[in-house]
Amino acid sequence: MLKLREHARYYVHAAGVIAPGGRAWLLTGESGCGKSTLTYALARGGWPVLGDDGVVLERGSQGVTVHGWREPLRVSIELAAWFPELSQRKSLVDWQDERHRVDVYAAFAKRATIGGVIVLERGERDVLCPLPPTAALAMLVRQSAFLLLTDDHAGSHLALLRDLVECVPCFRLVHTSAQLSSVHATILQASP
Amino acid sequence: MTRYRIVPDALSASLSDGAVLLQLYTKRYFSLNETGSRIWSLLEQQATDEEIIDALVREYDVEKPEAARAVNQLLDDLVAERLIETTSV
Repeated sequence: MLKLREHARYYVHAAGVIAPGGRAWLLTGESGCGKSTLTYALARGGWPVLGDDGVVLERGSQGVTVHGWREPLRVSIELAAWFPELSQRKSLVDWQDERHRVDVYAAFAKRATIGGVIVLERGERDVLCPLPPTAALAMLVRQSAFLLLTDDHAGSHLALLRDLVECVPCFRLVHTSAQLSSVHATILQASP
Repeated sequence: MTRYRIVPDALSASLSDGAVLLQLYTKRYFSLNETGSRIWSLLEQQATDEEIIDALVREYDVEKPEAARAVNQLLDDLVAERLIETTSV
Protein backbone atom coordinates (compact mmCIF):
# COMPACT_ATOMS: atom_id res chain seq x y z
CA MET A 1 0.00 0.00 0.00
CA LEU A 2 2.83 2.39 0.88
CA LYS A 3 4.60 1.71 -2.41
CA LEU A 4 1.35 2.41 -4.24
CA ARG A 5 1.04 5.72 -2.39
CA GLU A 6 4.59 6.69 -3.39
CA HIS A 7 3.37 6.30 -6.97
CA ALA A 8 0.27 8.45 -6.39
CA ARG A 9 -2.06 5.45 -6.22
CA TYR A 10 -4.26 5.29 -3.16
CA TYR A 11 -6.04 2.29 -1.68
CA VAL A 12 -9.55 2.81 -0.35
CA HIS A 13 -11.88 0.43 1.47
CA ALA A 14 -14.62 0.39 -1.15
CA ALA A 15 -16.13 -1.74 -3.87
CA GLY A 16 -15.95 -0.78 -7.52
CA VAL A 17 -18.30 -1.79 -10.33
CA ILE A 18 -18.59 -0.66 -13.93
CA ALA A 19 -21.99 0.42 -15.20
CA PRO A 20 -23.18 0.04 -18.79
CA GLY A 21 -21.51 2.94 -20.56
CA GLY A 22 -18.16 2.26 -18.97
CA ARG A 23 -18.11 4.54 -15.93
CA ALA A 24 -17.26 3.05 -12.54
CA TRP A 25 -19.20 3.50 -9.33
CA LEU A 26 -17.45 3.42 -6.02
CA LEU A 27 -19.52 1.79 -3.24
CA THR A 28 -18.17 2.60 0.18
CA GLY A 29 -19.28 2.53 3.80
CA GLU A 30 -18.58 0.83 7.09
CA SER A 31 -17.86 -2.91 7.28
CA GLY A 32 -21.10 -4.84 6.90
CA CYS A 33 -22.84 -2.06 4.97
CA GLY A 34 -23.48 -4.33 1.98
CA LYS A 35 -20.58 -3.59 -0.35
CA SER A 36 -19.91 -7.22 -1.28
CA THR A 37 -23.58 -8.17 -1.39
CA LEU A 38 -24.58 -5.39 -3.75
CA THR A 39 -21.41 -5.85 -5.80
CA TYR A 40 -22.37 -9.48 -6.34
CA ALA A 41 -25.93 -8.47 -7.22
CA LEU A 42 -24.52 -6.09 -9.84
CA ALA A 43 -22.02 -8.68 -11.11
CA ARG A 44 -24.86 -11.16 -11.64
CA GLY A 45 -26.44 -8.53 -13.88
CA GLY A 46 -23.31 -8.32 -16.01
CA TRP A 47 -21.56 -5.35 -14.41
CA PRO A 48 -17.77 -5.96 -14.33
CA VAL A 49 -16.23 -5.81 -10.85
CA LEU A 50 -13.11 -3.89 -9.83
CA GLY A 51 -13.15 -5.09 -6.24
CA ASP A 52 -15.64 -5.71 -3.46
CA ASP A 53 -13.63 -4.67 -0.41
CA GLY A 54 -10.84 -2.48 -1.74
CA VAL A 55 -9.79 -0.64 -4.88
CA VAL A 56 -6.99 1.73 -5.87
CA LEU A 57 -7.54 5.33 -6.97
CA GLU A 58 -5.31 7.36 -9.26
CA ARG A 59 -5.64 10.73 -10.94
CA GLY A 60 -6.45 10.18 -14.63
CA SER A 61 -6.77 12.31 -17.73
CA GLN A 62 -10.59 12.34 -17.50
CA GLY A 63 -11.02 12.43 -13.74
CA VAL A 64 -10.16 9.82 -11.14
CA THR A 65 -9.37 6.31 -12.34
CA VAL A 66 -10.19 3.32 -10.17
CA HIS A 67 -7.95 0.25 -10.54
CA GLY A 68 -9.16 -3.20 -9.68
CA TRP A 69 -7.93 -4.93 -6.55
CA ARG A 70 -8.45 -8.49 -7.52
CA GLU A 71 -9.36 -10.61 -4.55
CA PRO A 72 -12.06 -13.26 -4.62
CA LEU A 73 -15.53 -11.83 -4.22
CA ARG A 74 -17.03 -13.21 -0.99
CA VAL A 75 -20.68 -13.16 -0.03
CA SER A 76 -22.75 -14.72 2.73
CA ILE A 77 -24.32 -18.11 2.02
CA GLU A 78 -27.48 -16.67 3.59
CA LEU A 79 -27.98 -14.85 0.29
CA ALA A 80 -28.87 -18.19 -1.35
CA ALA A 81 -32.52 -17.30 -0.72
CA TRP A 82 -32.11 -14.54 -3.30
CA PHE A 83 -29.27 -15.99 -5.38
CA PRO A 84 -30.08 -19.73 -5.80
CA GLU A 85 -26.75 -20.57 -7.45
CA LEU A 86 -25.05 -20.05 -4.08
CA SER A 87 -26.67 -23.24 -2.79
CA GLN A 88 -24.28 -25.21 -4.96
CA ARG A 89 -21.34 -23.69 -3.08
CA LYS A 90 -22.53 -24.61 0.40
CA SER A 91 -19.68 -27.07 0.88
CA LEU A 92 -17.18 -24.23 0.36
CA VAL A 93 -18.55 -21.95 3.08
CA ASP A 94 -16.12 -20.69 5.70
CA TRP A 95 -18.19 -21.53 8.80
CA GLN A 96 -15.53 -19.98 11.06
CA ASP A 97 -16.38 -16.67 9.44
CA GLU A 98 -19.18 -14.96 11.37
CA ARG A 99 -20.88 -13.97 8.11
CA HIS A 100 -20.58 -17.51 6.68
CA ARG A 101 -19.10 -16.25 3.44
CA VAL A 102 -18.15 -18.17 0.36
CA ASP A 103 -16.01 -17.21 -2.64
CA VAL A 104 -18.09 -16.54 -5.74
CA TYR A 105 -17.33 -15.94 -9.38
CA ALA A 106 -17.47 -12.49 -10.92
CA ALA A 107 -16.10 -10.96 -14.10
CA PHE A 108 -13.31 -8.63 -13.07
CA ALA A 109 -12.14 -5.52 -14.89
CA LYS A 110 -8.80 -3.75 -14.63
CA ARG A 111 -9.72 -0.07 -14.44
CA ALA A 112 -12.28 2.60 -15.30
CA THR A 113 -12.94 6.28 -14.75
CA ILE A 114 -15.15 6.94 -11.74
CA GLY A 115 -18.62 8.26 -12.54
CA GLY A 116 -20.03 8.42 -9.02
CA VAL A 117 -19.69 7.53 -5.37
CA ILE A 118 -22.32 5.83 -3.22
CA VAL A 119 -22.10 5.53 0.55
CA LEU A 120 -24.02 2.44 1.63
CA GLU A 121 -25.97 1.96 4.82
CA ARG A 122 -28.39 -0.80 5.75
CA GLY A 123 -31.83 0.41 6.81
CA GLU A 124 -35.53 -0.24 7.11
CA ARG A 125 -36.48 1.26 3.75
CA ASP A 126 -34.72 2.09 0.49
CA VAL A 127 -33.66 5.70 0.13
CA LEU A 128 -31.21 7.19 -2.36
CA CYS A 129 -30.33 10.82 -1.69
CA PRO A 130 -27.56 13.20 -2.75
CA LEU A 131 -24.64 13.40 -0.34
CA PRO A 132 -22.93 16.78 0.15
CA PRO A 133 -19.23 16.83 -0.81
CA THR A 134 -17.95 17.33 2.74
CA ALA A 135 -19.92 14.32 4.03
CA ALA A 136 -18.73 12.21 1.08
CA LEU A 137 -15.11 13.23 1.64
CA ALA A 138 -15.36 12.51 5.37
CA MET A 139 -16.55 8.98 4.57
CA LEU A 140 -13.75 8.40 2.05
CA VAL A 141 -11.22 9.69 4.59
CA ARG A 142 -12.67 7.26 7.15
CA GLN A 143 -12.29 4.40 4.67
CA SER A 144 -8.71 5.34 3.70
CA ALA A 145 -6.60 3.87 6.49
CA PHE A 146 -3.32 4.83 4.83
CA LEU A 147 -4.26 8.48 4.37
CA LEU A 148 -3.23 9.52 7.88
CA LEU A 149 0.41 8.50 7.60
CA THR A 150 2.99 11.17 8.30
CA ASP A 151 4.88 11.00 5.04
CA ASP A 152 5.16 13.40 2.11
CA HIS A 153 2.12 11.95 0.30
CA ALA A 154 -0.76 12.70 2.67
CA GLY A 155 -1.49 16.07 1.04
CA SER A 156 -1.73 14.70 -2.48
CA HIS A 157 -3.76 11.72 -1.21
CA LEU A 158 -6.29 14.04 0.45
CA ALA A 159 -6.36 16.31 -2.62
CA LEU A 160 -7.28 13.39 -4.88
CA LEU A 161 -10.18 12.39 -2.61
CA ARG A 162 -11.36 16.02 -2.49
CA ASP A 163 -11.23 16.35 -6.28
CA LEU A 164 -13.14 13.09 -6.63
CA VAL A 165 -16.10 14.18 -4.50
CA GLU A 166 -16.21 17.55 -6.22
CA CYS A 167 -16.18 16.18 -9.77
CA VAL A 168 -18.63 13.26 -9.56
CA PRO A 169 -22.10 12.91 -8.04
CA CYS A 170 -22.16 11.42 -4.55
CA PHE A 171 -25.11 9.69 -2.93
CA ARG A 172 -26.13 7.91 0.24
CA LEU A 173 -28.06 4.71 -0.37
CA VAL A 174 -29.95 3.33 2.61
CA HIS A 175 -30.96 -0.12 1.46
CA THR A 176 -32.97 -3.20 2.29
CA SER A 177 -32.93 -6.63 0.66
CA ALA A 178 -35.14 -5.15 -2.09
CA GLN A 179 -31.97 -3.71 -3.62
CA LEU A 180 -30.68 -7.22 -4.30
CA SER A 181 -32.88 -7.22 -7.36
CA SER A 182 -33.11 -3.50 -8.09
CA VAL A 183 -29.70 -1.99 -7.34
CA HIS A 184 -28.86 -1.81 -11.05
CA ALA A 185 -31.84 0.44 -11.68
CA THR A 186 -31.09 2.46 -8.56
CA ILE A 187 -27.58 3.28 -9.72
CA LEU A 188 -28.65 3.98 -13.30
CA GLN A 189 -31.26 6.37 -11.91
CA ALA A 190 -28.46 8.17 -10.07
CA SER A 191 -26.23 8.36 -13.16
CA PRO A 192 -25.83 11.87 -14.57
CA MET B 1 -6.12 39.60 20.63
CA THR B 2 -4.64 36.24 19.78
CA ARG B 3 -3.05 35.05 16.58
CA TYR B 4 -2.99 31.39 15.67
CA ARG B 5 -1.00 29.23 13.33
CA ILE B 6 -1.94 25.95 11.74
CA VAL B 7 0.29 23.15 13.01
CA PRO B 8 2.48 21.30 10.48
CA ASP B 9 0.65 18.02 11.15
CA ALA B 10 -2.69 19.49 10.05
CA LEU B 11 -3.98 19.05 6.50
CA SER B 12 -7.15 20.50 5.07
CA ALA B 13 -9.37 20.09 2.03
CA SER B 14 -11.81 22.88 1.27
CA LEU B 15 -15.03 22.03 -0.52
CA SER B 16 -18.05 23.93 -1.77
CA ASP B 17 -20.03 23.18 1.41
CA GLY B 18 -17.32 22.99 4.06
CA ALA B 19 -13.95 21.43 4.72
CA VAL B 20 -12.33 18.30 6.07
CA LEU B 21 -9.35 18.57 8.41
CA LEU B 22 -6.80 15.87 9.19
CA GLN B 23 -4.46 15.73 12.17
CA LEU B 24 -1.72 13.36 11.05
CA TYR B 25 -0.14 12.97 14.51
CA THR B 26 -3.32 12.15 16.44
CA LYS B 27 -4.79 10.31 13.41
CA ARG B 28 -8.10 12.13 13.75
CA TYR B 29 -10.19 13.87 11.14
CA PHE B 30 -12.90 16.53 11.37
CA SER B 31 -15.56 18.12 9.20
CA LEU B 32 -16.32 21.83 9.14
CA ASN B 33 -19.47 23.44 7.82
CA GLU B 34 -19.35 26.41 5.46
CA THR B 35 -18.81 28.94 8.24
CA GLY B 36 -16.17 26.79 9.90
CA SER B 37 -14.45 26.44 6.55
CA ARG B 38 -14.40 30.24 6.20
CA ILE B 39 -12.84 30.56 9.66
CA TRP B 40 -10.22 27.98 8.68
CA SER B 41 -9.38 29.94 5.51
CA LEU B 42 -8.89 33.07 7.67
CA LEU B 43 -6.58 31.06 9.94
CA GLU B 44 -4.61 30.09 6.85
CA GLN B 45 -4.17 33.82 6.25
CA GLN B 46 -2.90 34.14 9.85
CA ALA B 47 -5.82 36.32 10.95
CA THR B 48 -6.24 37.05 14.68
CA ASP B 49 -9.34 36.04 16.60
CA GLU B 50 -10.64 39.61 16.42
CA GLU B 51 -10.04 39.81 12.68
CA ILE B 52 -11.93 36.55 12.21
CA ILE B 53 -14.88 37.80 14.26
CA ASP B 54 -14.97 41.08 12.32
CA ALA B 55 -14.87 39.18 9.03
CA LEU B 56 -17.82 37.00 10.02
CA VAL B 57 -19.87 40.03 11.12
CA ARG B 58 -19.18 41.63 7.73
CA GLU B 59 -19.88 38.51 5.67
CA TYR B 60 -22.77 36.86 7.52
CA ASP B 61 -26.01 38.02 9.08
CA VAL B 62 -24.73 37.75 12.65
CA GLU B 63 -24.22 40.11 15.60
CA LYS B 64 -20.74 40.48 17.05
CA PRO B 65 -21.39 38.76 20.43
CA GLU B 66 -22.83 35.71 18.69
CA ALA B 67 -19.98 35.63 16.18
CA ALA B 68 -17.44 35.95 19.00
CA ARG B 69 -19.00 33.03 20.89
CA ALA B 70 -18.96 30.81 17.81
CA VAL B 71 -15.44 31.76 16.75
CA ASN B 72 -13.98 31.35 20.23
CA GLN B 73 -15.66 27.95 20.62
CA LEU B 74 -14.28 26.71 17.31
CA LEU B 75 -10.80 28.11 18.03
CA ASP B 76 -10.81 26.36 21.43
CA ASP B 77 -11.84 23.09 19.75
CA LEU B 78 -9.15 23.43 17.08
CA VAL B 79 -6.50 24.09 19.75
CA ALA B 80 -7.74 21.13 21.82
CA GLU B 81 -7.50 18.88 18.77
CA ARG B 82 -3.98 20.17 18.05
CA LEU B 83 -4.91 21.58 14.66
CA ILE B 84 -3.85 25.13 15.53
CA GLU B 85 -1.72 26.75 18.21
CA THR B 86 -1.40 30.26 19.54
CA THR B 87 1.45 32.45 18.50
CA SER B 88 2.61 35.88 19.58
CA VAL B 89 0.86 38.77 17.83
